[in-house]
Amino acid sequence: MSDFKIDLPSAKFKQKATLTSLVILLVALLCSYIKFNPLVIFTEFHFLQEFFVEMFPPNYALFYENEGVGQSILQTLSMAFLGTIFGGSIGFILSFFAANNIFQIPFLRNFSKSFLAMIRVIPSLVVILIFVIAVGPGSFAGVLTLIITTIGVFGKLFTEVLENAEEAPSESIYCVGASHLQVIRYSIIPQVLPAFISNLLYAFDLNMRAAIGLGIFGGGGIGYKLYMAMRVLHYQDATALITMIVLMLLIVENTSNFLRGKLLGEKL
Amino acid sequence: MIEVINISKTLPNGKKLLDNISFKVKKGEFVGILGASGAGKTLTLRSLNGLLKPDSGSVVFKNEIGEKVNICTLSNKKLRKVRQKIGVIFQGYHLVQRLSVLENVMIGRLGSISTFRSIFYGFTDAEAHEAMGALEKVNMEHLANNKVSSLSGGEKQRVGIARAIFQKPNLLLADEPISNLDPKNAKLIMKLIKPLSEEIPVIGVFHQPEMTAKYCTRVIAIKEGKIIYDGKPNLSEDQLSEIYGEELSTLALQGK
Amino acid sequence: MKIAEFKISRYKNIVLPLGGLILLSFLASKSCKIDFSDFGEGIANGTFFITRMFPPDWAAFPDMLQPTFDTILLALLGTFFGTILSLLIAFFAAANLSNPWVRNITRSLISIERSIPELFILLILITAFGLGAVPAIIAIALGCVGMLGKLLADTIEDIPPTLMDSVASIGANKIQIIAFAVMPEIIPNLISYALFRFEVNIRLSVLLGAIGAGGIGYELETSFSLLEYHRAFSALIIVLVLVFSIERLSSFFRNKLKTAIVLK
Repeated sequence: MSDFKIDLPSAKFKQKATLTSLVILLVALLCSYIKFNPLVIFTEFHFLQEFFVEMFPPNYALFYENEGVGQSILQTLSMAFLGTIFGGSIGFILSFFAANNIFQIPFLRNFSKSFLAMIRVIPSLVVILIFVIAVGPGSFAGVLTLIITTIGVFGKLFTEVLENAEEAPSESIYCVGASHLQVIRYSIIPQVLPAFISNLLYAFDLNMRAAIGLGIFGGGGIGYKLYMAMRVLHYQDATALITMIVLMLLIVENTSNFLRGKLLGEKL
Repeated sequence: MIEVINISKTLPNGKKLLDNISFKVKKGEFVGILGASGAGKTLTLRSLNGLLKPDSGSVVFKNEIGEKVNICTLSNKKLRKVRQKIGVIFQGYHLVQRLSVLENVMIGRLGSISTFRSIFYGFTDAEAHEAMGALEKVNMEHLANNKVSSLSGGEKQRVGIARAIFQKPNLLLADEPISNLDPKNAKLIMKLIKPLSEEIPVIGVFHQPEMTAKYCTRVIAIKEGKIIYDGKPNLSEDQLSEIYGEELSTLALQGK
Repeated sequence: MKIAEFKISRYKNIVLPLGGLILLSFLASKSCKIDFSDFGEGIANGTFFITRMFPPDWAAFPDMLQPTFDTILLALLGTFFGTILSLLIAFFAAANLSNPWVRNITRSLISIERSIPELFILLILITAFGLGAVPAIIAIALGCVGMLGKLLADTIEDIPPTLMDSVASIGANKIQIIAFAVMPEIIPNLISYALFRFEVNIRLSVLLGAIGAGGIGYELETSFSLLEYHRAFSALIIVLVLVFSIERLSSFFRNKLKTAIVLK
């Protein structure tokens, strides 16, 4: 038998058991504080059951009877598109100032970085509430909200892309006597173009989901239609709309991923 | 004792990966399987513990209660029982990196510990002490509490051997155990495996004919899915070129 | 350079896509019933409105502590149960743990879940279970599955097959393989993903709160509805501080975990 001290399994078991018990105890305490019973899904299952019966079968007739539905789909797509384009452009420009390897003007850089960071923190709920009051409910408020949130998300993502761009090509172009802007045009932009488009597609995917969610707060589009359908208890209409939403998002997500894959795969 | 009887495996396009391979290995033998890449060595080895199911043929092995079973046709449950008695050493990354050396050795007996106990309690202190015994045999007991991720390649292989020893197996399989090691460690590993063959049959796949020549009692050479040699471990240059084709010149340089 | 050399065809790589985008933007704006000129005005109105919300209602802050705690708690419990649920589902969605049929169906379900906005899950659950913490926590937990389910399944599939073969070779059954080979390998990743999802869930908790789940989101929404803009501003400040601090904390811990993950 060896003399080496080994970590006995029984000691480890005691450690693990104590830790697990503490965690379970804590979670149980928190759950009872907020009156959440994890098993409620099983005990109150009949509520869900009744509800699902009401929701099926989906009322697909909604799509040809009510031409507003087709329009609202287009609206949601447009909202996401506009939010991505404008938000992406502004974010794009700002990220150039915020990145520490492009325009190295400290004042502008700090301002842009903080601005982008701050905008990112603001939850979209707050933005939409403000815009609904400022410009009235509807898809306009939705678009403005998406623009603001996209600036934040895209700005941060793209700043990282810019900061990760390789130095060597830029250095060599400086060496031939080129100006700042020329270096950006010939070295940076070609490098980051695939990532730019890729991030735009990603932002579009996110904005589609956001646009649907914002419909509840007066953002318009198919999200609003869904919310209305549920409020007037037309559950079968709601199910039809949900399936359409899921389908739409799946298409957008897969197209986005496919295009991004081709972009980054090819041009790398 | 393990006996392979006419195992074959064919790809859908008709190419034969294994073509009527047959051999028998008893205790006291240390068999080295040689062959060029893609010849079918690893497939053969994997058939021995059920990781690969051949299209035809059988692999006969004596299970824990002494009856002969055909590994190729065992149900999952029975296969697991049989595997408790088969130790396997792999080429690399076969240990759980984030667990300690001792825990990795004790994992060897998972097949015989009830699921409930292994999940909710873990291992017993008695098992820990036994595992230390196995580690002593490979001179790794001083690293018992260390995470596997901090070990060198040679040390990891020694832990693998300790785990196999801890299983108290009736058969030991080794899939290119020294291919990733430098010559000094390779020698060390072969020296650790060799004595095990006195009690149980040991079958290993190797890419190093000079090692099999020195340590194995028998060599089986496979080419294009067929056995082309089964006999004494010392191979002549002609035989080696037969097995490896063009690669002979590099082998000659490896020093015999 | 002569003017003649400025051929349009040189720029077709840029002009064509740009023109297309402008056209699309125009069409899209029509669809949303907006004019281009409105954009600047809209943003100006929005920012002006914010200034009108100054100053915050200082007296309201103590009242908002309890709802803030509730919001954090909802997100916390939702993430906790959601992670466990996602892990269980990930076991079925990993190619090296389940057969191809099960794996593909599970992956599709995870994808579909990702496409359902959590808001609507909440609405459905509210009709079934009433208002309060229950539907919110369940909605947040289910929402985790879309992201964590995929990430965890991918991580499990990245485990080297030799390790899986190795543990299978000694006779372990599926559950033991999961406990001894899979879990130790993925735990740092698991914690990192959970922390990241927690950030997302805090925002979600605020959002869901606005629909009736309670917490600071609810305070925010009601303040707006009751036109108490200064109170709303207080709630807004709290939300900003909350989201910002949670994000910082989460990034901090995830960075510390990076070393554990890379060490493999």
